[in-house]
Amino acid sequence: MNSCIEPDTYVILRLPSEQLRIVEVKPDTLITIPKLGSFPTNLIIGRPFHFTYELHERRPDEPFSRLRVVPANELHGDALSSRDDAPDGVDDGSDEPETGAQFDIVADDGSVLMRNNRLTVDDASRQHLTHEEIEELKKVGTGSGIELIKTIMASHAALGEKTEFSLAKYTLRKSRKYLKRFTILPLDVTNLAESILEREAPKIMELREETVALACAWSNAHWSEGTGEEMTGRWLVIDDSGGLVVAALAERMGILYEDKTVELEDGDDGAPNEADANPDYTADTTRGTEPNEQQPNEANPAGETPNGHSTPRKPPRPRPDGLPLNRSHPAAMSATTNTLTLLHPNHQPNIGLLQYFGYDNSAPVSSHPLYTHLRTVSWLQLLHPSEDPTYIEPDVVSEDTLAAMKSGKRGNYYRKRRRWQRVKAVVDETRGGGFDGLVVASFTDPKEILKHTVPLLSGGAKVVMYSPNVEPLTEVVDLYSKERKAAYLELKREPETKTTQNGGHPESHDDDAEKEMDADFPVDPMLLLAPTLQTVRVRDWQVLPGRTHPMMTSRGGAEGYVLTATRVIPHSGAVEARGNASKRRKTEASAGPSEVDSDAGIEARAKRGKLETGSEMEVEV
Amino acid sequence: HPSPFLTPPPSAQAGTLALLHLRRDHILPLHLSPSPTALANTRFGSFPHSTLIGVPWGSQVLSYNVKNAPGDRGSGVSRKRKRGEGEGNQAQGAQVAGDAENGDGEGEQREKKMEISIAGTGFAHLLPPTPELWTQSLPHRTQVVYTPDYSFVLSRLRVRPGSTIIEAGAGSGSFTHASARAVFNGYENGRKEEGSTGEDRRGKGRKGRVFSFEFHEPRKEKLQEEIDAHGLGGLVTLTHRDVCEEGFCLGTATDPTTSNNNLDTAPNADAIFLDLPAPWLALKHLSRRHPTPLNPTQSVRLCTFSPCMEQVTKTINTLRELGWVEITMVEVMHKRLDVRRERVGVAEENLRGGIGVPKDVSEAVRRLREVTREREEAQAKQIANSRRRREGGGGGEGKGRKGKGGGEEHMTSRMHRREKMLREAESRKLYREGRLVHRTEPDWKTHTSYLVFAVLPREWTVEDEERYLVKW
Ligand SMILES: C[S@@+](CC[C@H](N)C(=O)[O-])C[C@H]1O[C@@H](n2cnc3c(N)ncnc32)[C@H](O)[C@@H]1O
Repeated sequence: MNSCIEPDTYVILRLPSEQLRIVEVKPDTLITIPKLGSFPTNLIIGRPFHFTYELHERRPDEPFSRLRVVPANELHGDALSSRDDAPDGVDDGSDEPETGAQFDIVADDGSVLMRNNRLTVDDASRQHLTHEEIEELKKVGTGSGIELIKTIMASHAALGEKTEFSLAKYTLRKSRKYLKRFTILPLDVTNLAESILEREAPKIMELREETVALACAWSNAHWSEGTGEEMTGRWLVIDDSGGLVVAALAERMGILYEDKTVELEDGDDGAPNEADANPDYTADTTRGTEPNEQQPNEANPAGETPNGHSTPRKPPRPRPDGLPLNRSHPAAMSATTNTLTLLHPNHQPNIGLLQYFGYDNSAPVSSHPLYTHLRTVSWLQLLHPSEDPTYIEPDVVSEDTLAAMKSGKRGNYYRKRRRWQRVKAVVDETRGGGFDGLVVASFTDPKEILKHTVPLLSGGAKVVMYSPNVEPLTEVVDLYSKERKAAYLELKREPETKTTQNGGHPESHDDDAEKEMDADFPVDPMLLLAPTLQTVRVRDWQVLPGRTHPMMTSRGGAEGYVLTATRVIPHSGAVEARGNASKRRKTEASAGPSEVDSDAGIEARAKRGKLETGSEMEVEV
Repeated sequence: HPSPFLTPPPSAQAGTLALLHLRRDHILPLHLSPSPTALANTRFGSFPHSTLIGVPWGSQVLSYNVKNAPGDRGSGVSRKRKRGEGEGNQAQGAQVAGDAENGDGEGEQREKKMEISIAGTGFAHLLPPTPELWTQSLPHRTQVVYTPDYSFVLSRLRVRPGSTIIEAGAGSGSFTHASARAVFNGYENGRKEEGSTGEDRRGKGRKGRVFSFEFHEPRKEKLQEEIDAHGLGGLVTLTHRDVCEEGFCLGTATDPTTSNNNLDTAPNADAIFLDLPAPWLALKHLSRRHPTPLNPTQSVRLCTFSPCMEQVTKTINTLRELGWVEITMVEVMHKRLDVRRERVGVAEENLRGGIGVPKDVSEAVRRLREVTREREEAQAKQIANSRRRREGGGGGEGKGRKGKGGGEEHMTSRMHRREKMLREAESRKLYREGRLVHRTEPDWKTHTSYLVFAVLPREWTVEDEERYLVKW
């Protein structure tokens, strides 16, 4: 994955405006970047990632632009030449005036400006080229945007008054606007999320990279290997982010990307040999050099996805090894090790973002690792399986009847049986529990989610919950607070006394008691250890000679919070129940909550000792 | 044997690492010993290893009273502490002098056999190791990289199952463990096979690896022990080396004759993490020129981790000169939040964790009325008293007692109120009352380091480009 740009995949273009744009790399088409121009996809296929290209000025006889790789030293020209300790040779020969001055740092609010900057006037009228003239210049095509910028700068009347500092700002501003450059980035989970955050952040619950990273680390999701018969490496997921969380976990478990290395690299020269193996793409040596012959003049709209969500993934071409698809592969959802089980609220899970990684849930490709490793179960299937029609066994038909069936009908019968077997196996295994972790990013009430999922975790499993806002998670922490745990234990200790009080009518009493119990303890507070609430945020800096400072603005919106905890198995008896429990209980209880939350008794007693000598009076809880 | 970090068995096993969670942020790493006398002594009680082995992960485990414990061995992990002096603590085992954690006592004959019995108080939870918990509990030998930073670094560096990462300096191994989990996609059979060639190291099914460097020898030795004890030896190759001087290609330090472009010795790295005082001095060894430790077939990503801005400036200048691109610098700001219930009201006055201020204005007024009435009553009583006294003669001393009497009245009514409140509190569900609030926890780490990221794209020659122009 990501070693070079592969055909029929998605990549991300970063434009001069810093905008990220998802495009599909379809061979023999054009990619059009609004305002910048078009170029043939074939000019980037097989090439490395992270190159910055410049669109050449279009030749009169061609409907597209050719590309030039911008070398790194040109990209860094500005920063390198203005280094105060730069050796003489580093200046790339740009015609920026060398002032040779040492500069002061400018305060963020601009109050302490450096030499003479106060005298320059940032006024559009000082720029003698009119907008029309600039447009004209662009048409004449003095080459790439750099030339244009130089022309504009040269015509700036106030240039002499400007310091290098404001020039740099100026250049930067103009660069963004006029440079016909773009950079190609791989489409991975981080870059995909970044590009969605720009436009439709709520779609992915405003999940930032650092938050995803923190949540995934605490979930302990990683590649797992079976040790024997038993199922291992199983994570339970609830995802309202359109599949971003599933993708992030799958990436860490090594089941997100189809390994195409073998298809693309023929050891010796690293050039693609897919063309040879694929009938649709027999080597055409002219295609690359004379694309306009093959290529209709229009830009191919399918070649890009302006809003990032419209183009569904095409089924891949046949495998180059000649194996037919859907054969020689195990059944869907059949993996028992290194799996993700997605609990979802609809008939079909909403994981549309996975299509960018070659996985379309409505028509999954069997060669994709998620085909076997992603298992999906609805809440209905989990909680009331018998109400789900797909869980109910289809009638068994005798051999004779089958033999008499038309082949289509027979196929149908087998398909139904297979689907039922799959659903039954997946649902039963999910209900059987034993998961290694739970990751939740959902708007659904966390209480209910935890009530139904925490019991499905094995001891030591990690629980991670993400929420854009803090309030739902503070509620969760509160459900597992020391105080609540203490009260819960107290209640568990004396169920007899409470029920005997009501003696005669256990029914009605149980009902009431149960309701109250549910309200007070919506979840068993003893099942999670040390719930911890945290938030993380990355701050970007600009680092330039003499101009280093944090970015002045960044995206606001949801702060994003992560709750982590560990599933534990409480000791079956009350821990302090040995010895003279009843006598001790009163005093122990006054030690209060700290006793319960694994602040083992000794510490609690020490604490209490201190408290009792103080003026404060202890309350029994 | 398999690593408990990566493929943990369902329960704690002798000979492997287990974590004893005593309380929040207080985790004791235990290398479980099969010896019957091995003990973990904590301020929450003693936990004989024998009572932990075979116990399912996540279990709440009880502390034991220990009689005839083996002598002090002072592992230094947990300092002995006088155990609580409360009731319910069976007195005999209370003073456990020995700290026999990691004890191997087999060879040593004890006159008396060690005896254990459940203490009745004190417990902990037995957890399987993860890089996060290890980072919280590892023996610190240096500054370490914590979870918010390392999770972000590994994400930005795109370290995934099958990746190869270079790390220097290894320090206390916090980042090493997180990296090992990130790259893991199966154990390599044997450490280094004779026949393992470029295909294996580069192609499909290549196994993830961590190449770690540390120039402080004792630190390197200690970490090597941990890596081996944690079953990560096949994944992590730790080398004693000054990377600024000698670079990252293996085989050169100890054996200069080894060709270091050999794929068996070149790390072939996809990612590099430098947590060194002067990372810019190591950058010259990370070029695409022969011999290179980098994966030649794809973009390579780098992160340096430096606390000071001067280091950042030097690093970035050097990166620019060496042709790295996508250079960015960020800080990771992280906080943990405390959540609690804030109970406000007159009824909280004498309760712990409550704020005894009127919860609203009407409550304030109500209390003022109550106090006023009490005062008036007290005054009326006093007046009546003094009148009675005056009538009975001997008015002199009455004046002296006046103030005192009023105070007493006041005191008793306050005590009264307090007792009433305490009684009422017993039937209240304090854990559900009040307003749920959150705030930054008391100790907030506001700066760890600046993170510089950069990318070095693969080489692309004129010939490469011509070949592809023909192909496509
Ligand atoms: C801050 S510590 C690294 C901590 C580590 N990242 C962790 O998470 O535990 C820095 C380490 O780098 C080592 N070191 C410093 N310069 C070095 C060099 N030139 N080559 C190798 N190791 C070096 C030091 O000995 C020290 O142990």
